[in-house]
Formats: sequence, C-alpha cells, structure tokens
Amino acid sequence: MISLAGRDILHSWGKFVLTGIGLGLLIGATLTMAGVYRGMVDDAQVLLTNSGADIWVVQKDTQGPYAEASNIRDDVYRGVLGLPGVAQAANVTYLTMQVQHGARESRSMVVGFEPGQPGEPTYLVAGRRLLRGHYEAIADVKAGFRLGERIRIRRHDYEVVGLTQRTVSSGGDPMVFIPLKDAQEAQFLKDNDAIITDRARTAANPALNRPGVPGLLDAVNAAQTVNRSVNAVLVKVGAGSTAESVAQEIRRWKHLQAYTRVQMEEILVAKLIATSARQIGMFLAILTVVSAAIVAFIIYTMTLGKIREIAVLKLIGTRNRSIAGMILQQALGLGLIGFVVGKIAATLWAPAFPKYVLLESGDALRAFIVVMLVCTLASTLAIRAALKVDPAEAIGG
Amino acid sequence: MDQGIHIEGLSKRYGAGDTAVDALKEVNMSIAPGEVVGLVGPSGSGKTTLLKCLGAVIEPTRGRMTLGGEVIYDSAQGGWKTKDLRALRRDRIGFIFQAPYLIPFLDVTDNVALLPMLAGRANGASRARALELLQALDVDHRAKAQPSELSGGEQQRVSIARALANQPPVILADEPTAPLDSQRALAVMRILNQMASQYQTAIIVVTHDEKIIPIFKRIYHIRDGRTVEEAGEGRDIS
Repeated sequence: MISLAGRDILHSWGKFVLTGIGLGLLIGATLTMAGVYRGMVDDAQVLLTNSGADIWVVQKDTQGPYAEASNIRDDVYRGVLGLPGVAQAANVTYLTMQVQHGARESRSMVVGFEPGQPGEPTYLVAGRRLLRGHYEAIADVKAGFRLGERIRIRRHDYEVVGLTQRTVSSGGDPMVFIPLKDAQEAQFLKDNDAIITDRARTAANPALNRPGVPGLLDAVNAAQTVNRSVNAVLVKVGAGSTAESVAQEIRRWKHLQAYTRVQMEEILVAKLIATSARQIGMFLAILTVVSAAIVAFIIYTMTLGKIREIAVLKLIGTRNRSIAGMILQQALGLGLIGFVVGKIAATLWAPAFPKYVLLESGDALRAFIVVMLVCTLASTLAIRAALKVDPAEAIGG
Repeated sequence: MDQGIHIEGLSKRYGAGDTAVDALKEVNMSIAPGEVVGLVGPSGSGKTTLLKCLGAVIEPTRGRMTLGGEVIYDSAQGGWKTKDLRALRRDRIGFIFQAPYLIPFLDVTDNVALLPMLAGRANGASRARALELLQALDVDHRAKAQPSELSGGEQQRVSIARALANQPPVILADEPTAPLDSQRALAVMRILNQMASQYQTAIIVVTHDEKIIPIFKRIYHIRDGRTVEEAGEGRDIS
C-alpha cells in the first residue's frame, strides 16, 4: 500500500520543511531553556567540586557562603583543624563584584584562597599557579582576561598569571582567584575616608584616648583597620571519617554551621536556583503549549486544504483509519523535522549564551517523546475534521 | 436483465413533516453492461441526489437497486445489503467527477493503482493494472507524471482509468465534460463509449452539456424527482 503521508510530504516538501524549520527553532528554544536550567545545576555542582571541600563551615544560623552572607573569624580554622577526622581546613572568601580590566568591566566572583589548601583552582588551562603572596590572580577563561593582563580589584592592580576553566559561581559569573589576604582586604577593608572618620571618632572618645595610657589609641585604630574575617572555612575529611559525623562535631563544639556536600547541593539547587528553575519551568510549559498550538494549526490548515481530496479518497473507499494515519504521520513527520532542526539549532547556539547551557541527551530524549506526544495530540483536531468530511462532497450538487 | 444496474421505485425524501422534500419519486432505470446513458435535467431536478443514492453515499428512502446481478439495496428488506458501503463503492462503483480530482501528491500510475491497492491487491499487480488502463486510454506516456503536469484532457482520461481500476459493473460520471471544449468533450465521450464496450461497464453520465446530449442512444430526463426515458439520437462519434 502506498504511504499517503509520505507522498504528500514529498509532494509539498518545501512547505513541509520550512514549517518544520519554524517549529524546530521553537523546539530549539525549548531545549535551550532546559539546557539553561541544567547549566545552572551543573554550575552549582562544579562550584562545589572545584572548592575541593567535604564540609563548608559558615557563620551560625546562615546558609552561606553562596546562598547567604557569612562572616566568621579567620582563626576559626585552627580550632576546626584540631577536631578528629579533619584532614585539612582553610579560609576562603567569596565576593561577587565588577572587575575592571582596561576600560572594560566584567562581573566576576573574586575568591580568596590559600595556596595548597581547599579552595584553590584544581587545574589550569594556561599559565601558572600563584607564587607571590600578593597581586597575582588566576581567572576563568570566561572572564575574558588574558595572561599577563592587569586587572583592578578595588584599589589594587593584579596580574593574571593563570587561566582556569569551568570555575563559575552559582549565578554563572566566572571566578577570579587571588591570595586570601588580598581578598580579605578587598572585601572588608574600609575606604580611606571611612578610616579617617573612624580614627577621628575613636580619638574623640575619652574612653579610648586616655592620656594616661599611651599606645591605646594606636592599638584600637590598628584593630579597626585590620580585618580578620572570612566567609567560610573549607574542610577536607580524613580517611576513616564521614563528612556528616565531622560536620556534627563542628556544629556541636564550635557553635558554627557546617554543611556537607549533600546539604550544600540542596541549598544551591533547591533553594538558590529554585525561583529561576520555576521561571524556566513556566517558559518550558508556555513553549510546549505554543508548539502544540502551532503544530495543531499547521496540520489543521494542511488538512483543510485537502478536504476535496479527502472526500474523494473516502468516496473511492479509503478507510477512515488510513486517512487518520496519513494526518497523524504528517504531524509526527513535522515533529521529527522540528526536533532534528531544534536539536541542531540548540547545539549550535548554546555556546554563544553568556551562561553555561548544558544540553543533556536525556533531556533531548524526553523532549523527543514530548514532541511526538504533542504532535499526536495536535493532530487530533485535524483528524476529527477529516473524519467529518462527507464523501458526498466529492460529488457536485 | 441480470447484469448492469437496475433501479425500481427509488425515492428519496429529505426532512420530515411539513418541511419534507421529495427529491426522488419512484425512479426507475435500467442500464445494461457496456451501455452509456445520459441523465439530463435542470438544476434542482434530483440528478445529484440520484447519483448519491446510486453511489451508496446516501441512503434512499424507498426502492430497490440491483448491481451486476446482485441486490445492493432493498427498502423492503432492511435497506443496504452490506454494512460496508465503503467497500461497495470501492469494488463495484466507479466515479468520474466534473473536475478530475486526482490526488495531487500521487503520480498518474498511483492515482489509478490506489483503488486496487485499497481493495487489497498487491502493489505490483495494482500498478500493472493501472498501466494497462493508462495504455488503453493513451496516457501511459505520462505514467510517472504528477497530476499538475497533465493537461485537462489527460487528467480526465486518468480519472476515467481510475474509475475503471477495480472493474466495477457501473461507473457514475458527474458532468465529466463540463469544463472541456467541444473537441475534448467529444474525445471524453468517445473514450467512455469505448471503455463501456471494452470492459462491459454500464456508464451513467449526468450532464446538461448540449454538445454531448446527441451522442447518447438512451437518455433519462429527470424533472422534479421523476425520470422519463427517451431514445437519444445516438450520433456516431467513433
């Protein structure tokens, strides 16, 4: 038996392919939206993996350092190191800010770390690690910096000595790694005017500026200028201990909040990007409905354009199921072309997106099934119209 | 006559009560195999209704129809003899329309071969049958062409081949020459006569085309739902 759908598609392939491409671009947009969500989840996981930590120790009653602000003293890590099961503990700071390079600015997450400790970038794609204690930086390639380029963070210039890859914040901003001391200064140091104002206030305070206690004012001023805060302590657990048991110890004895990798993932994925995920979910739902409406409209219009032929086919004895099959196959064919075009389009344009777009095979498979289901549903309107065609319409009168 | 098509007392009423319209009133017709008869009448006389009843597209209200020696409809015995009117139309009735209405996405061969295929014949045998008919109608050189590539006359010949594809005992032709000029109209009628004779098919041609009315040997005039048979001129066009 002849494939009526196949012949019809071949007969008007230009119209069919153009329609498929239009639908494909819409499916491509849908796949990309799913990819944006996957990218956000992946960014969050990469962020945690790159930190090299098993436990994040943060300020009590906060969900820092990524989801909320966290501020702890930079000597906390010494106490943590003394706990059983802790192999390494290191201070880190995180600050999302505008980093200047030349006349341009780029939004980056500035990470302060101690070389050789958790928090250091795990691999470089170019350049070297930090060797000096100050004013050197390693940047993610996505930040757009080149080796040897000088970038400005707050009041100091840094030389980019190394480049790394796929180190981004949960918001997708590329990371710039600098020495911890510099990062603390960048994050916590007050500007000169504020320091002068504070010194004047301290000097005017008789309790802190006692004539009989020389050196007290200087000591107070020095304490106000130097900042000893960090955002978190990253902990690596030693062999034989579990992250959860060590985290419990930290919570119990140090009066700090400690999150394991699983808990931190929960914070990042379920809480930090939850609103974005819902937003994307809404877009996906709308795009799916729009795609369904477009397929339904196209197939319905194509069917209405063939009413006379359908009447003739019915008159000469074509079964209803053959006619329904023809329309269904055309709808599925349109969906298939649309899916292939959409997949190719999404693959081609995904790298051009400023944030990471992760196109997973599983999502593509699910999208394919949804497209086929949507096309099947969308064809029912046209099938209904075709089945209602009276074969008598082929005979005049 | 056992073969051909015979209609006795065929009536069709649309609606009921005060608004009822009797489109056909006790119509009697008898056409032998190989015969081509004309069915002539003004607009609204009941031609199309009769064609639809004969074509098993609508159900008559009363009467009896015999096709190829077999009763296909008898109102006294419950109406249609078969529930599968689609198969009845496919296997036993050929249709030729005012416009050819070829399926635009099938080539000429497959337009003709579609009917035997729908009847369950193998693709090869169906296409062989189609080519045989296209040859008989002198359009076999366009066998691979698309309908849109054919002239009006060629399209009409292909539609005749399609009507003959399943060797039906009767062909219903609904104004087949209406869009054609005199020369082409006569050519189509010549082909219909030739095919009726060659394949022993009864052909009913619904027309009000003055050019071809003199060709029929027998004509049924239909007016207000009633038919009157009269002898035609039977002009020789061979």
